[in-house]
Amino acid sequence: MSSYEDTNRESLGSASGSMECACELDQNVEILRRVDVFAGVPLERLKVYALLCKRRRFEKGQFIFQQGEADDKAYILIQGTAQVIRQYEDHSFLVHELHPGDFFGGLALLADVKRLFAVRATTDVEVLTIDRESFRKILRQFPELVEKILDVMIGRIVRMEEKLLERHIHECVIQ
Amino acid sequence: MILKKSLWSWALTRCRGLQALLLLLIVFTVFFRVFPLEMQKRIINEAVRFRKIHTLFVYCGLYMGAVLLAGLLKYAINVLQGYIGQKILVEMRTGLYRHILQLPIGFYRRTPPGMVISSLTAEISSVADFLGSAVTVPVVNVLTLATFGAYMFHLNPLLAVLSLATYPFEIAIIPFLQKRFNRLNSERVTVTRAMSNAVGEAVSGIHEIHANASYDLENEKVARFSRNLLQLRHRMNLYKFGIKFTNNFFQSLGPFLLFLIGGYLSIQGRFSLGALVAFLSAYEKLYDPWKELMDFYQDYQNASVSYRRIQEAFDVQPEFRISAPEPKPVHISGHVRVEDLSFEVDGHIRLLEQINVELKPGQRLALVGLSGSGKSTLAMIMAQLYRYDYGHVYLDQYELKELAKAELTPHLGFVAQYPFIFDGSIRENILYGFRAMAAFDGGTSEPVEPAPGEVLDIVERVGLTEDVLRFGLNTVLGRECCEELTAKVLRARRLLHQTWGSQLGDSVEFFQEGTFLDYSSIATNIVFGYPVGEGRPCEILPKSPRFRAFLEESGLWEPLLALGLDVARRTVPLLSDLGDDPFFFQQSPIPADELDLYRHILEHYRGPSVPIHPRDTEPLLALALRTIPGKHKMVVVPQALRSKILEARPLFRDYCSQKDPDAFIYYSENEYLYSRTLLENLLFGRLKEEASWVWDKVMEAVLEILHKENLYDHVLHLGLEFQVGSKGDRLSGGQKQKVGIARALLKKPRVLILDEATASLDMASQHRIQHYLDVELRGKTTIISVAHRLETIRDYDLIAVMKSGQIVEIGGYEELLERKGLFYELVRGHQ
Repeated sequence: MSSYEDTNRESLGSASGSMECACELDQNVEILRRVDVFAGVPLERLKVYALLCKRRRFEKGQFIFQQGEADDKAYILIQGTAQVIRQYEDHSFLVHELHPGDFFGGLALLADVKRLFAVRATTDVEVLTIDRESFRKILRQFPELVEKILDVMIGRIVRMEEKLLERHIHECVIQ
Repeated sequence: MILKKSLWSWALTRCRGLQALLLLLIVFTVFFRVFPLEMQKRIINEAVRFRKIHTLFVYCGLYMGAVLLAGLLKYAINVLQGYIGQKILVEMRTGLYRHILQLPIGFYRRTPPGMVISSLTAEISSVADFLGSAVTVPVVNVLTLATFGAYMFHLNPLLAVLSLATYPFEIAIIPFLQKRFNRLNSERVTVTRAMSNAVGEAVSGIHEIHANASYDLENEKVARFSRNLLQLRHRMNLYKFGIKFTNNFFQSLGPFLLFLIGGYLSIQGRFSLGALVAFLSAYEKLYDPWKELMDFYQDYQNASVSYRRIQEAFDVQPEFRISAPEPKPVHISGHVRVEDLSFEVDGHIRLLEQINVELKPGQRLALVGLSGSGKSTLAMIMAQLYRYDYGHVYLDQYELKELAKAELTPHLGFVAQYPFIFDGSIRENILYGFRAMAAFDGGTSEPVEPAPGEVLDIVERVGLTEDVLRFGLNTVLGRECCEELTAKVLRARRLLHQTWGSQLGDSVEFFQEGTFLDYSSIATNIVFGYPVGEGRPCEILPKSPRFRAFLEESGLWEPLLALGLDVARRTVPLLSDLGDDPFFFQQSPIPADELDLYRHILEHYRGPSVPIHPRDTEPLLALALRTIPGKHKMVVVPQALRSKILEARPLFRDYCSQKDPDAFIYYSENEYLYSRTLLENLLFGRLKEEASWVWDKVMEAVLEILHKENLYDHVLHLGLEFQVGSKGDRLSGGQKQKVGIARALLKKPRVLILDEATASLDMASQHRIQHYLDVELRGKTTIISVAHRLETIRDYDLIAVMKSGQIVEIGGYEELLERKGLFYELVRGHQ
């Protein structure tokens, strides 16, 4: 089975293309591997994650999720670009720009919280999503993964927060 | 109570016309039973003795005719008896069931369902079997006995007395044995009921049994009863056959005396040979009626035992009157006054103590408190579910417990925390209360229905519309269904394709003739249709020799087997450690229970090109055919195979139209697809995912089209026909509650009692219903609500805080908060 990974290094970015020898599962594995949260997960386990992932497309300008929304998914951008936007009562800030391979919204996997920011597609995009239930089911099935994944997730949250705080200093107003 | 009557009064007062007819038939039968005896005598004495052939023929003919008639009459009597018995059974059973249903809730707390069921089925039908024969059997047999006796007396008084002399002994011994038999029989009823209860308990507790693997434990319970029954039955048989033995023994004493004395008299010439033959026949014939009387006696004793046990078991009075004493309807404005109400259950446990509360018509009362505080009990008393003995509950000027159900039910709605949902459709469940209410005044001839649209209106109010719409769209219409509807759907399909086709591309896969369907199985891709009979293509096809032949002809056989093997290779290792969680198998072409099968098959194909063993072709083909490329992500269907399948599609259609033209129906834009859901028919395609965003997106289009084509209400009505399954198993907890609330609201009651009726609902649905209660029913309906979410009762007129069966605080929301008492604590605890 391992022969597949080697043949589709370039699949990211053209994942839905006509890679005939690679199934969607293997493409998903490849995408997940490049995300730090999943990078340490052994291949066999990663395949289970890949199986439960789903793909979705958004059109340019559409919101992937809205601030304040209760959403139970984490996203990886496969194709296109998007903006992370923090909205206040009368104006919005562009916090961050997302590119293929970026992982976002991961907090939803850990807890049922409302979105702290919105994400909007700036081009037509394709994302890979995984929902909380699937994520947790896998962790329950393979408890040895918990520590590894949680460490990375918490690291991300901390960095994210740091970045957010930093951004707020040089607020960049849109509209 | 219906079973207060004696067993005999049932037999004597029911079906009198039929019983009279029966008696008439009996008199004839008795005649035709004796008549052949006389013929026997004459055949021997007149025909044989004087060698008159002609007379012999006449008498034999008469004999034959009489025997035939007697047989036919007996047949008619049996049929009539059976009918009378069953007719009485219907009346008894429905009467008993009606009585049982009206028994108070307390009765059911101590009575297991198994006992009720066994009383209503086996026990009562043994009574009815007896009742059918209760009048006729004794009459016919006593008459026959008397007639034979008289005839014998007529032949020879001495012999008659001698041969009948044994009967008194029997009459002395048999009842003695029977009494002991009865005692055992009564015990048998007890054990049988206990066994039914054990089985009934096991069935309802099957989760617990599986969870604890307590199979042996449960089995032992029933086995113990079975062994006990064996003992009882065995001892019963000792007596039963003892009775038979006694009977037979005394019966066979008779002929002994007859031969001895009759023979002697005949030799002496004081008794004709013919008379002796007739006498012996008569004696033998005595045996039948006597035996029947004995059997009857035993049946009677058994029936009395069963009847008495049923009488004892249900000798309880209903707590409330059912039908109104006067025909004039009771008007209720909704004024509720509870005065010094106390409530006790067995053992003088006080559940409520000195409750006082008053509600003007249209006011709203919330009952709050910790669990066990008595708030539900109070609500149930106000809903007339329990009878109270101390204090008063007034509904307007009426004392609640004096109101008959017929008077109260039109004005009262009650929603339990877990409303019971009956097997049937959603519509039937919503109409349940309304129909019951209508049955009181409308009689039972025509089912009374609410005005059209009213049900949909209530469905909308309780927030069930979306669920009903979904059920409606997922309906698979029967072929016999409404052509008008399917024509409309086809029109809607065209409109949908025109206006929404391009926008739905990423959520719907349309069935297009020349396109490979990623979200349908490989089997569907080949057939591009569905089989006319039962079953899905991917289940039927792998077994069909004709289909296999087609695959070989069209060159698909090898690639499909290779695909099956490839799918197994990719799936088995992926899921092999996850066999215990069905969650992971949702995206798998191999169900959890077949994982081992395919794992086993794979062991033979470790190398790169091992030829496939014929034994494995069926499972591998089945796997390939059920694969859905878009859903089963571990699978790759090679481009070459896709093209081949597309090429095979028209070939398959040709192939089938020659060999078996009616086997399949093919997808066609202009046809309604009867094996597919209404939604799939509207779309002429399938949803690519089950996800909610897909559904929402598609619904936007579908709703617009449904409204445009005037199909919306139609679909809702179809959705209302959704079969909810036993106990509403196919509905979620929230849906069941909504149905329960709709059931109560449809009656438009003056007083509505809600026992945590919105506890299983999500916030949005809860607010929606709350809004309806707050706005639409405000001032019209008195509401008493046991509440657990305190934020929903903010503007209730009164809040009664309960603790250990007493109201400790009562007042408005703000007022109670300010008092900083128990309510304040409760609210703070919630935050």
